[in-house]
Amino acid sequence: MGIDSMEIDSMIENIKYNPYSWARSWKQKKGKGVIGYFCSYVPEEIIHACDLLPVRIVGRNAVATLSGAHLQNYCCSLARTSLDMALEGKFDFLDGTVFVHTCDTMQRLSDIWRLNAGSEEHFDIVLPARLDGENAFDYLREELSSFRASIERSFGKTTDEDLRRSIDIYNRNRELLAELYDMRIKRPELLSSEKLYLIVTMSSLVEKSIHNSLLETQISDMKRSASPVGLNTVDEKVRIFGIGSLMEEWGFLQMLEEAGATFVDDDFCNGRRYFEQGITEGDDPIMAIAKRIFERPICPCKYKVSRSRVQEIMKRVQDAGAQGVIFFQFKFCDPHAFDYVPLKEALERASIPSILIEIEQGSVSLEQLRTRIEAFIETIRG
Amino acid sequence: MSEEGKKHYVKIRATENMKKLMTDYYIQAKTAAGTGKKVCWITSGGPVEFLIAMDVIPVYPENHGAMCGASRTSVELAEVAEEMGFSRDLCSYARLDIGQAVTAGGPIGGLPRPDFLLCCNNICGTVLKWYEHVSRYYDVPMFFFDTPFIHKETREHAFEYVRNQCVELIEFLEDQTRRNFSENKFAEVAVKSVQAVDLWKKVLSTAEHRPSPLTCFDAFIHMAPIVTLRGTQDVVDYYRLLLSEMEERIENGISAVPEERYRLIWDNIPIWYEMRNLGKLFASRGACLVADTYTSAWAVDIRIDEPLTSMADAYTSVYLNISIDLMVDQVLSLIQRFKADGMVMHSNRSCKPYSLGQYDIARMVTEKTGKPVVIIEADMTDSRAYSEAQVRERIEAFLESLERM
Repeated sequence: MGIDSMEIDSMIENIKYNPYSWARSWKQKKGKGVIGYFCSYVPEEIIHACDLLPVRIVGRNAVATLSGAHLQNYCCSLARTSLDMALEGKFDFLDGTVFVHTCDTMQRLSDIWRLNAGSEEHFDIVLPARLDGENAFDYLREELSSFRASIERSFGKTTDEDLRRSIDIYNRNRELLAELYDMRIKRPELLSSEKLYLIVTMSSLVEKSIHNSLLETQISDMKRSASPVGLNTVDEKVRIFGIGSLMEEWGFLQMLEEAGATFVDDDFCNGRRYFEQGITEGDDPIMAIAKRIFERPICPCKYKVSRSRVQEIMKRVQDAGAQGVIFFQFKFCDPHAFDYVPLKEALERASIPSILIEIEQGSVSLEQLRTRIEAFIETIRG
Repeated sequence: MSEEGKKHYVKIRATENMKKLMTDYYIQAKTAAGTGKKVCWITSGGPVEFLIAMDVIPVYPENHGAMCGASRTSVELAEVAEEMGFSRDLCSYARLDIGQAVTAGGPIGGLPRPDFLLCCNNICGTVLKWYEHVSRYYDVPMFFFDTPFIHKETREHAFEYVRNQCVELIEFLEDQTRRNFSENKFAEVAVKSVQAVDLWKKVLSTAEHRPSPLTCFDAFIHMAPIVTLRGTQDVVDYYRLLLSEMEERIENGISAVPEERYRLIWDNIPIWYEMRNLGKLFASRGACLVADTYTSAWAVDIRIDEPLTSMADAYTSVYLNISIDLMVDQVLSLIQRFKADGMVMHSNRSCKPYSLGQYDIARMVTEKTGKPVVIIEADMTDSRAYSEAQVRERIEAFLESLERM
């Protein structure tokens, strides 16, 4: 079931304006269940193995309204606009929602969601905040098993074989996304930043095997237009590394490219953090999923005694040959706001310029941002 | 407070003892360097008994944050952190603490340097980020004590995880202090901790009496020893003294608020810089804040026969580490026990786990009890986020509505 380039474009366009329409119509056509989730730590494979479609809830670009009865205005716009959508019935096609323990806001949002806007089934996966050491690993494995047991109670039993099959499909998706990133690091002009993040975001909104075909087509298209190497006469864009949680401000991405820059790599959770590190398969698929959670790039909500997020990101910034860093953060996102300082300081020591952009969904002023971004790109160009 | 009110207001005598206890403690902590005693910074919900048993001096940046808030030095300290790049939207305890480490400002000239850190996330995820900074700043090791959040009930594997961390913590402390952990010493500390917690609960329970001998504003001040030094004999002695004074008040008909007319519950961390004024405002209208969801957080249940096991359970199930439904249950039980007429909720910009969900809790409490709830917007120590006029107006309107009921 190949997907041609035109189809890719229409799927991208669709995701951009109606992120959930694909899942809605898939449900109608297939008569299968759809599960909403918030965070890239959700073990999607376990959901997928139950023959369900996991879709990520990503808020929307509109000023929050109804959620004001439940969440204060010092709560991040991702939580507020998502809750708005749920209260408006925009998620009525979901058969369940999965929350994982990450930040304080998500933890409370889970309760508020369940009490006011819940879909039929509500699951909490209380991941450990610490992601190394034997104790935390044992706990994580148990927590994943208990999630598997409860989702199976609602949607039917699965075998380890089912789970392994899902892991294969997801691993393939990770490989392909990694390949796409590798190509872009070498030749960023092959794919715009906007299209890149729409493609990664789409990965968490459509059936994985279909996304895999899409990626295969996309990558072979890019390979074709990339050869012969060196003949493309495009203006070199300033290479930017992005840091933050979700990157879904499409207008901002267009504007960045217009300003003569492009993202070459990132630490977004709908970017590198979503797909980096495959699952190494072993006898016990749950154990294998737990291992990946331990080994993938860390979210600022999580802690490791043995590894430093700052050092890891600095290495990736340098490996990507980034000339500058854009911190793209939701206002009131505490974990990212804390990590901003040591990251910024490390970048200063390495003489890599950076800029902090704080946004609230629905109230982004692109024109104001344009002035700042242009000035930033200007300083890099020198 | 009106002239009338002033006449009736009786100071709590034990306050002087508490001040001395806390002053001695801070002097000891600040002069620890060179005495061979180690200093450990610990989060307010952390398992301090392990430190006391290992003869380590615990230092509580959050307690210090409250002091900075009450002495109105918090904003200048927070601004230091903001200049370093920390967002003004972050927890003001964290910001002012990051600032005081640089300037040694505030009412006691800054906290003593830590030798190591004990960070427990049963109160929030912010402490993890905050202590990571402290750990980098002072270049000292940190032990992270991870207590899984409870949405419905404690699950066996979560409990096991926490219990195993107690063992890891002991190893960490042995390593840091180069001393052996003594189970006997720990059992002794646990006994004293249980005694102190028991006395503290009894002190808080005296407010069940009508009129109440104390308000939650008194409890906020007198909670410092139970937070910082439980497990020591001094704290047991202190709460015995405070309890007898409260019992004496009940016997002699002395009330905390002259002419108590309304009994209210307080929710969230105090607004430290405004506490005195708010106390006066409520008292002048005959409203007594008889109980709160905050000070009872330190009324954890530890069983002496199984200190380690019961501690793992107690530290995981504190008020801020449980779901909204479970919080509502606790609020309802406070309303019932203390025969409260309503609730005042401080929506605290600095504290998301405490504040997000308050709107739902307020609604559920009113639905279930018919009691009114007022929500005031503020910040525990950042007075820049506080509008005195607006808050007074809301409280006045709320008290008037109680009058009409």
